[in-house]
Amino acid sequence: MTTHAGVTDAAADGDRLADSQNIIVAENVDKWFGDFQALDNVTMNVREHEIVVILGPSGSGKSTFIRCLNRLEEHDAGRIIIDNIEMNDDVRNLNAIRSEVGMVFQQFNLFPHLSVLGNITLGPQKVRHMPKAEAQQLAMQHLERVGIPEQADKYPAQLSGGQQQRVAIARALAMQPKIMLFDEPTSALDPEMIKEVLDVMRELAESGMTMIVVTHEMGFAREVADRLVFFDEGALVEQGTPQHFFENPEEERTKLFLSQIL
Amino acid sequence: MADMPMQQPPGRIILPPHRERARRPFSVRAREWVRRNLFPSTGGTLLTIAAAVVLGLLLIGVLWFVFIDANWRIITVNRWLLFAGGFPREEAWRLWVGMGFVFLLIGLTYGTWSSFGRRDHLFVAVSGVFVVFIMAHGGTAIWSSVWFLLAVGVMYLAYALTARIPRELGPIRTLQQRVVGGLLIASLPLALVILLSGGASVRQLDGFVLNLVLAPVGIVGGLVIGIPLAIGRASTMKTISWTCTAYIEVVRGAPLLGWLFVALFILDDVIGGELIVRAMVVMAVFTAAYMAESIRGALQALPRGQFEAAHAVGLSRMQALRLIIMPQALRISIPPIVGQAIAIWKDTTLVTIILPLRELKGNADSAIAQREFIDDRIEAYIFVAVVFWAVAFMMSRISQRIERTLGVGER
Ligand SMILES: Nc1ncnc2c1ncn2[C@@H]1O[C@H](COP(=O)(O)OP(=O)(O)O)[C@@H](O)[C@H]1O
Ligand SMILES: [Mg+2]
Repeated sequence: MTTHAGVTDAAADGDRLADSQNIIVAENVDKWFGDFQALDNVTMNVREHEIVVILGPSGSGKSTFIRCLNRLEEHDAGRIIIDNIEMNDDVRNLNAIRSEVGMVFQQFNLFPHLSVLGNITLGPQKVRHMPKAEAQQLAMQHLERVGIPEQADKYPAQLSGGQQQRVAIARALAMQPKIMLFDEPTSALDPEMIKEVLDVMRELAESGMTMIVVTHEMGFAREVADRLVFFDEGALVEQGTPQHFFENPEEERTKLFLSQIL
Repeated sequence: MADMPMQQPPGRIILPPHRERARRPFSVRAREWVRRNLFPSTGGTLLTIAAAVVLGLLLIGVLWFVFIDANWRIITVNRWLLFAGGFPREEAWRLWVGMGFVFLLIGLTYGTWSSFGRRDHLFVAVSGVFVVFIMAHGGTAIWSSVWFLLAVGVMYLAYALTARIPRELGPIRTLQQRVVGGLLIASLPLALVILLSGGASVRQLDGFVLNLVLAPVGIVGGLVIGIPLAIGRASTMKTISWTCTAYIEVVRGAPLLGWLFVALFILDDVIGGELIVRAMVVMAVFTAAYMAESIRGALQALPRGQFEAAHAVGLSRMQALRLIIMPQALRISIPPIVGQAIAIWKDTTLVTIILPLRELKGNADSAIAQREFIDDRIEAYIFVAVVFWAVAFMMSRISQRIERTLGVGER
């Protein structure tokens, strides 16, 4: 079912990830919603600093998989280990993992009753117990990083979609996570705003962040990803370098999907 | 619709008609408005005239009654009975201090989060004239009106001082919000302490004062019980959600009237204590069920993504509820909560009907029963109605104001 063509012989990316350890280990993960199986025996490792883009048709389990990685969904079978901490029912593990994994949603999910600054400082203040002034300073640094420091005092509803998504990225970054998960971060955006968000993500990738990105932006996938992973019907069907994927995909389902989307 | 572009020559901009009219002088526009809205056609003109005649007669009738026919002595003679009834006279100053405290809070609150508008000043002026007229009429209660005016003065002074502090975030502003917010939260217990820490017992709360105590106790108690109920009902733990659901459904299964009977008879055997306190408990317990349902509706209306984002940021369940979910849910449920508050305000009169307690309406009945005023039933009830309306009106104005002030970050 799963092939690993292109992962080991990826000479181009080998250097960058040469001595990276696995930071995410997912083994034989199953997830059921009632009697519907949303994830079917998914095994996938991600190395530190690696950029993985997940592709797949709608309903193939991409969101479910990355939501299992920070316990927004509980997996039913298999193992998930994040930075050497196994995801189980131990609440301490859960909190430890959540604070290492940042997440950016398709619908931004900013807190509408808090200002931009309030959105970003909340986590550092309440979870990391950082003093307010320090948290604000940190928030401003991240706002500058995503290019909108001047919006600090506005409320989410006063921003464009692209700006809101950049605030959401800054909010996740302010927790200083080791891993960032992106679930279709540009799918809810007007076309002219997609680039500003992708640029921020590109910069983040260059800075060495470990990222898993669910997206349909093929340009981004081709340029930025170390590895592409294709999901279909809850299973990991094929993975490999962008070159492998776009030039000679092996599985019929992958070919069909790429022919529809490209 | 498809042939629209053909009728409009390219390049010609057609101003909407009101833009042109707006530039004409006021007198012309006024004449236009009158013609359009009052005398558009023969039929319309006839209707306007008929309506004017009916309204005019009605107005004359009301004015005639209020200023000529009515005998307002039933109110002025019984003003103490209506206002505080059996509350000990020698403790009366506590009522004035309590009133001053409430007015102080209003001034502080408006000064901190809102501002007085022209309509607010008008409302204060009209009700001020009303109150002073009733108190000073006959010349025996001059001091009462002085106290009242002093309280109004305190309100404006508090407003003037707090409104002066700049709204920009800063240490002083934060301190101001904390102090005023803390006072608001502590206001109900503080007010009760002011009223009852001397010789007056809770049993002697009477007349309008009783309405003014019962309703806030019901509203605040209802929120204090209702918020956890709403959260509990939405809980994933079945025992908790079933318990909360059972509470809500049982309480809503009978009218307040029925529950007041429970307070009168059953609670007497079970817990005993003052009847007034039992009535307060019942009102809070009853209101809580409705408050809980309003808040639960708001909780369900919040997008799931809010919980998820809160968890993704690392907040615990309790933190997510306290910092993300409840602030938004409470804001959404302000209108139904205020509706509930106004209902409970009016329902304080039930205390007279079911229980041997005397609030404003009950004491108005006593006034009517006096031989001298046997014919002045209508005056008494009109007075009671106006007072109830004024308070309810104030509540709905304040709620609109809260909604607007909190609406800053609305989606
Ligand atoms: N909370 C849920 N309850 C029931 N079914 C769900 C739930 N979340 C997702 N699913 C189902 O699981 C499948 C995978 O969903 P998802 O992971 O969101 O797909 P993708 O992100 O690839 O479009 C879909 O068929 C979806 O309907
Ligand atoms: Mg999805």
